[in-house]
Amino acid sequence: MKKVLLQFLTLSTIFCFLFFGLNSINWMSLFQINKLSEKTEKKLGEICWDMFKDEHAEIKDSTALACIDSLLNAICIPNNIDKKKIKVHLLESEEVNAFALPGNHLVIYSNLIKESGSPEALCGVIGHELAHLEQSHVTKKLIKEIGIATLTTIAGGENTGAIKEVVKTLTSTAYDRSLEKEADVKSVDYLTAAKINPIPFADFMAKTDTRKTSTELENWFSTHPDSKERAEYIKAYTKKKGVIKNIKVLSDESWEKLNHY
Amino acid sequence: MDLEHLQIHMNRMNTFSYNPQEYELEKASNSYLMSLLAVVVGLPLPIINLIATVSFYISNRKSTYFVRWHCTQALLSQLSLFLMNSFGFWWTISIIFGSRNIQNNYIAYIFTLLLVNIFEFGGTVYSAIETRKGKHVEWFFYGPLTHLICKP
Repeated sequence: MKKVLLQFLTLSTIFCFLFFGLNSINWMSLFQINKLSEKTEKKLGEICWDMFKDEHAEIKDSTALACIDSLLNAICIPNNIDKKKIKVHLLESEEVNAFALPGNHLVIYSNLIKESGSPEALCGVIGHELAHLEQSHVTKKLIKEIGIATLTTIAGGENTGAIKEVVKTLTSTAYDRSLEKEADVKSVDYLTAAKINPIPFADFMAKTDTRKTSTELENWFSTHPDSKERAEYIKAYTKKKGVIKNIKVLSDESWEKLNHY
Repeated sequence: MDLEHLQIHMNRMNTFSYNPQEYELEKASNSYLMSLLAVVVGLPLPIINLIATVSFYISNRKSTYFVRWHCTQALLSQLSLFLMNSFGFWWTISIIFGSRNIQNNYIAYIFTLLLVNIFEFGGTVYSAIETRKGKHVEWFFYGPLTHLICKP
């Protein structure tokens, strides 16, 4: 009996060594799984953006764009994110929404700025969407829900129906719960590295629970479930990170101006 | 080290408690060949191997000790392989039809399974040939385990 047990342990150990040894190889990058080519991703982003451009008026005011640029700089520089690759678009809309598109497009609706209530909360939302881009959540989600073959076909030619499906997937459905949490946590990391207080971001999240009657406000949150729970873990994670720095990312005057669009 | 050499290290060739007859050698050798059935017909379902081996085991449970012993060893090795393959099979199904994504540990597990299956396949073919020649092959772990289960 002892011999059987010893030999069983030996075999189990060999199996574990084999598995963990093979697991240490990065197969995902070796086989390029869940990766669209840079060209395809760029093309998809352009196609999606063209569709949004036609449906919403883009705010091209230099003051507004400069304000958003300041917020983006405040997050990107301390976190070593290449800001040049991020294409920020500010759109006029009553919807409270912000989302990331393939090809590093970041779309922010004007009403989200107003409803966020503070530059810090807006930075939190921007950080969350930046995390989706930086962690390749956007392409992962598209590949999972639409499929790599269809995406490559869409990028290769005109197919309005399929493009609408891509846009719908990116703006109206949630990422996996784990990816949302990962983006929230990453956003807190970005904010703390940038010395921006993440609490207003958590408060913005919690606020939705008391304002459920506002259909516009519900939009961004309906794609990001369990706002109250998220607010709680953002606060808990912030507390765990220690001392909260609180630099002013935007002057009151600039924030006022930004709120008028 | 090639597969055959590795097999020789892993499997021990012992003498059995009595000298089996020619018909026993054939039946014992067939018990290993039955476990290769699914591979031969090209079916991907892991349960097929096990069903084939279990059927052969049941039909020979009243046979001589030598035949029963090798049927039991073949069955035990297939049973553990079945558990490992089933886990991989349902993991794959949950990726294709469910909400799971392909992850690094899935690929690592599939490669581990592939290596284990190749090793098991080589071991099974080797045991079938050697048993047919009248040599008693005891596998590492499965041999001593079979001795505990299968009594004369």
